Amino acid sequence: MAEPLSPLQPVWRPGRHGNLSGGAGVVLSETRPASIVQVAAWPGSERAVIAAIRAATGLAVPDGAGGGVATATKAAFGIAPGRFLVVDQAEGLEAELRGRIDARTGSVTGLSHGRTAIRVDGPKAEWVLAKLFAIDFGLTALPAGSGVATQHHDVLAQIQRTGAVRFDLYVFRSLARSFWQTLCHSAEDVGYEVI
Amino acid sequence: MLITCPYCGPRDVSEYTYQGEAGRRRPDPASADRAAWDAYVYDRLNPAGEHSELWQHSGGCRSHLVVTRNTLTHVISSVAFTREAGRSHGRRGKGARR
Amino acid sequence: MSPRRTPDGGRIDRSRQVRFTFDGTSYSGHPGDTLASALLANGVTLFGRSFKYHRPRGVMTAGIDEPNALVTVLEGDVREPNIPATMLEIRDGLTVVSQNRYPSLAFDLGAINGLAGRLFSAGFYYKTFMGPVIGPLKGTRFWMFCEWFIRRAAGLGRAGHAADRSRYERVNAFCDVLVVGAGPAGLMAARAAADEGRRVILADLDARPGGSANWSDETIDGMAAPEWVATMLAELSGRDNVRILPRTTVWGYYDDNTLAALERVTDHKAKPETGEPRHRTWTIRTGSVVLATGALERPMVFPGNDRPGVMLAAAAERYASEFGVLVGERAVLFTNNDRAYRSAAALARAGAKIGTIVDVRDTVSAAAQRLASECGAELLTGRAVVATEGRSRLTGVTVRAFDAKSGAVSGDARNLAADCLLVSGGWSPALHLASQAGAKPRWDAALQAFLPPEPTQNWVAAGAVAGAYTTAEALRQGLEAGRRAAGSSDDRGEIGIPLAADDELDPAPAPVFEIRADGKAFVDHQHDVTADDVRLAHREGFVSVEHLKRYTTLGMATDQGKTSNVPGMAIMAAAVGKPVEEVGTTRFRPPFAPVSLGSLAAERHGHLKPERLTPMHDWHVAGGATMMTAGLWFRPQVYGQPGETVEQAYVREAKAVRGSVGIVDVSTLGKIAVQGPDAAEFLDRVYTNTFSTLPVGKARYGLMLREDGFAFDDGTTWRLGETEFLMTTTTVNAGKVMQHLEYLLDVVWPDLRVHLTSVTDEWAGAALSGPKARQVLEACVTGTAVDDATLPFMGIVRGEIDGAPVTICRLSFSGELAYEIYCGAGYGTHVWETLIAAGRPFGIVPYGLEALGALRIEKGHVTGAEIDGRTTARDLHLDWMLSKKKPFVGSAMMDREGMTGPGRLELVGVVSLDGRPLNGGAHIVENANPAAPRDSIGHVTSVCYSPALRRYIALALVEDGKARRGTRAFVSDPVRNRFGPVELVSHHFFDPEGKRLHG
Repeated sequence: MAEPLSPLQPVWRPGRHGNLSGGAGVVLSETRPASIVQVAAWPGSERAVIAAIRAATGLAVPDGAGGGVATATKAAFGIAPGRFLVVDQAEGLEAELRGRIDARTGSVTGLSHGRTAIRVDGPKAEWVLAKLFAIDFGLTALPAGSGVATQHHDVLAQIQRTGAVRFDLYVFRSLARSFWQTLCHSAEDVGYEVI
Repeated sequence: MLITCPYCGPRDVSEYTYQGEAGRRRPDPASADRAAWDAYVYDRLNPAGEHSELWQHSGGCRSHLVVTRNTLTHVISSVAFTREAGRSHGRRGKGARR
Repeated sequence: MSPRRTPDGGRIDRSRQVRFTFDGTSYSGHPGDTLASALLANGVTLFGRSFKYHRPRGVMTAGIDEPNALVTVLEGDVREPNIPATMLEIRDGLTVVSQNRYPSLAFDLGAINGLAGRLFSAGFYYKTFMGPVIGPLKGTRFWMFCEWFIRRAAGLGRAGHAADRSRYERVNAFCDVLVVGAGPAGLMAARAAADEGRRVILADLDARPGGSANWSDETIDGMAAPEWVATMLAELSGRDNVRILPRTTVWGYYDDNTLAALERVTDHKAKPETGEPRHRTWTIRTGSVVLATGALERPMVFPGNDRPGVMLAAAAERYASEFGVLVGERAVLFTNNDRAYRSAAALARAGAKIGTIVDVRDTVSAAAQRLASECGAELLTGRAVVATEGRSRLTGVTVRAFDAKSGAVSGDARNLAADCLLVSGGWSPALHLASQAGAKPRWDAALQAFLPPEPTQNWVAAGAVAGAYTTAEALRQGLEAGRRAAGSSDDRGEIGIPLAADDELDPAPAPVFEIRADGKAFVDHQHDVTADDVRLAHREGFVSVEHLKRYTTLGMATDQGKTSNVPGMAIMAAAVGKPVEEVGTTRFRPPFAPVSLGSLAAERHGHLKPERLTPMHDWHVAGGATMMTAGLWFRPQVYGQPGETVEQAYVREAKAVRGSVGIVDVSTLGKIAVQGPDAAEFLDRVYTNTFSTLPVGKARYGLMLREDGFAFDDGTTWRLGETEFLMTTTTVNAGKVMQHLEYLLDVVWPDLRVHLTSVTDEWAGAALSGPKARQVLEACVTGTAVDDATLPFMGIVRGEIDGAPVTICRLSFSGELAYEIYCGAGYGTHVWETLIAAGRPFGIVPYGLEALGALRIEKGHVTGAEIDGRTTARDLHLDWMLSKKKPFVGSAMMDREGMTGPGRLELVGVVSLDGRPLNGGAHIVENANPAAPRDSIGHVTSVCYSPALRRYIALALVEDGKARRGTRAFVSDPVRNRFGPVELVSHHFFDPEGKRLHG
């Protein structure tokens, strides 16, 4: 059978673009995790859900709004009160979490196809994202691992800082192509590389 | 205008959807009290001054918030989740977010 | 003599030439010149014609306050009008034309307006065009008749029609301290805040930050002032926590310390870099603000004060010191204050002859007298300029004795030859942003100026904007403001304050704003508002400053009255007989200076909305589909074949569905995961029918009402598990339904344990419809049977199609045997293509929205056209869905008076009897006379050609529609010239028993 198709495929132009006089200011990529899962706790069972995420992924999500953690292949962060986005490059995370979270604790919702994961990485990442989102991307305001839920006009986005100059964005698949084009446009002045 | 979402921190008003006056009590679902239903569905306060309002953070965590706002100055004196119970978890820590 | 370039001096790069054209003539200047300085250096004095009277106008200022020298910049066929020449940096290839002149700047026919002065006095438009003129041109018709002529004669630059191809962008910034203005005070504030470790943004509207220090002859910290600026900028730009934004006008101060700024990124460049925007809008959220916006010199109001060659004193000083341009050889200074003497001295040093200084005051300070004698100027105190001579440029001025207390002019006239007149009427702090931020400015009688109010937000003013007119005081205030804004309580005294000599000049001007004598004395140069206009407005009863402004249009031009506001208020105050502080000033509003519309649209320029695409979008486009929008979504309208009309295409597609099998993309349907122990209870409350009784693996059609009892949305909801449902909504209502449900859970029933998640994008959906649909599935689905027993109507099974997991529900919108097949969106195209391959032996046809519509209209199914917010479930004959066993949202209100009973618009079918198409929106009438189509009994909502009936049919909402079935009426659509007979029938046009549904 076929691999899942990326919504970005027809507009995917690998290589370096824009003003490269100072090198590529950002590297843009689609991380294509096989598992994107939302986990939501009932009021009072947040800690049980955090424990379940840890048991399933090994990720220790810090307590607190937007708190999160990321490794090379996995990530988790808070997106709303009692709600977390949990991501794994490997398949099978939804089943794993469903096995650990029953209806009395919370709910597990598969979003592996519904969200497109876009990575913005590089010294100009904050600058490019500042053109699209009214979020303070400074390292103090948004420490590594933590995330925010916000929007660029009609495009809702969940954003996790996964490194000092690296951000992973989760946007609705149907809007991902439009958003990607806007993102590339916004990165032209600092130069970007698509990998 | 900024509204400080208890979860997400201060965000521009464009991330929010206004959902009307807060604190309206929905009549008992089985009630046939027409006056009570009319009041619930149609009557809204429109004060010049402090107003208790519902705003949904539709462009963020999607929580509904009770916002006390002065309609003359836009000064917001308090913001709280409508579902306050059990929501002490996951508040933006003081100073953690601007 | 003409203005000219001085042999040396100024902060321009004399080693390089820049070529540009003005009104078709080629000129050259130097990098660092503005258009104004470069044209002056070339001896040009005539820049434009005035708004109403077409008077010749020169350049009056050297900055953002310029009211006269407005030009149009041409970029190919794109024209941008009303750009102040004083703010426009020259670049190679810059092409500029003057404005409001015909046929040419030097010879202008419109100047005849100047002879008809009374005609264009205050309130001209109101009086002339809103009055009851008798006859065929009465009322506004007269205006409509005259408008074309007036619009040509009056006004500013002409807007273009060509699309602006420039790039614009927005950016959000967050900082602790925003410093607005990079003069001595702003630079000090920025450094002080940066020293405290704060994140600082320093914005300045000029190309060269530095403010007055760029043209001052003072010494700061042992350096020439411009050198000190360069040192400070170099130091600040080396810091990680400071961002310096030159060419950036902070134009709006909004709630919660949010400020808007416009950065002119590439206007000064011959060619932008790749990806560089022309303008960038900054939205800055900051902890605190230092307003170091300086002050604007104001002119005196006297007859002939608009003649080219009359210029603000500090502007002339700035041209000499910063641009190396001498605005005249033989100058006269006319002033009411000491500060202007320094301007005269600067011009004298640059090589001008200052013949005379005319001061309205009887006595002046010793320091000023010294400056006058340094200039070698004759000092005339107790005098005023009462007239100017010359045509398109100044040749001389007339001076008479003047009593500053009474304002009386007396004595003999004395003529002075001059090619430029420097004017100073004192200074007005640039408190626009402070005024925007809330409170009313306060009047300072000593300085004769409005000063910033007490802050209502977290800002602090420093420097000239706060009335600190000397450099030494500005430096002190800047340091203190920077520390305060940084939240530093540490008082480190005078450490770090650079030394600058306090001059001994008296900062207070004489309270003189106007010299009353014969002739037009302009207050607002850009809108041609004279002092007499202000008094006329007062005589006609406009005593509030806000009314004065609107009636005379004083201060309402693109310069927003930067030079005219305070003189206008003062003249009004004199007319009313009150002090200025009682008359007050108008409230300043954003923007401080004009903002390009492109910068506000920014990244939405070109494509206003994102395109929302289904997983199979590219297949549709490649397959020849004509796409149409539904909200943000793009959906196939028809898959037309060569030579087909839209109608031919959808009729072919719909016939294929009824005859064999068709497939349609339904991925756009809203899909909401409803999960939790109380999910079934929740659905019972929000749907009119019951879902708790629905077994796992089954779907049910559901209807939602609003709280007010009107129909809201419909769709099927599938029970995937004991505590898991998948709700579908109509495409356009998906967002509204989600918010409605979230509201109910968060606000009304917070005790229910239900989670809602939008999974619209998770699932690709295809509907397979037609008598052969099951055979197609049998050919490609593995892992489950799809026969009637395994998959009955409204049943759900899970299986695979070519390895992709699918969920299949048997339900029908077309009235045929039909299935909806859902799979992960990433597999959408693959599953779709596999289904089509499996359907090929049956002649499967992909169909679009038009065929989908025709099929559902034939079946009488309603959509958003019928569920329009005004219809009830009963109106739509959906009352069978209203449970009587339980309350639900809307149940209490749905049977109110007026929502039931006779007279309601009810859903009916309509058949065209004349063989012609019907139109959505057409009225249904009973009156057979097309000339008098009165008494509408309803309207058409959805139309199509029905291949099954071979007729044009429609759905309509008609008064007591059910009772009218079988009767005749007419459609009336005068807008589209359509009138014709129809029959009203049941909305179930086709297969009313639903036999085909069960295959």
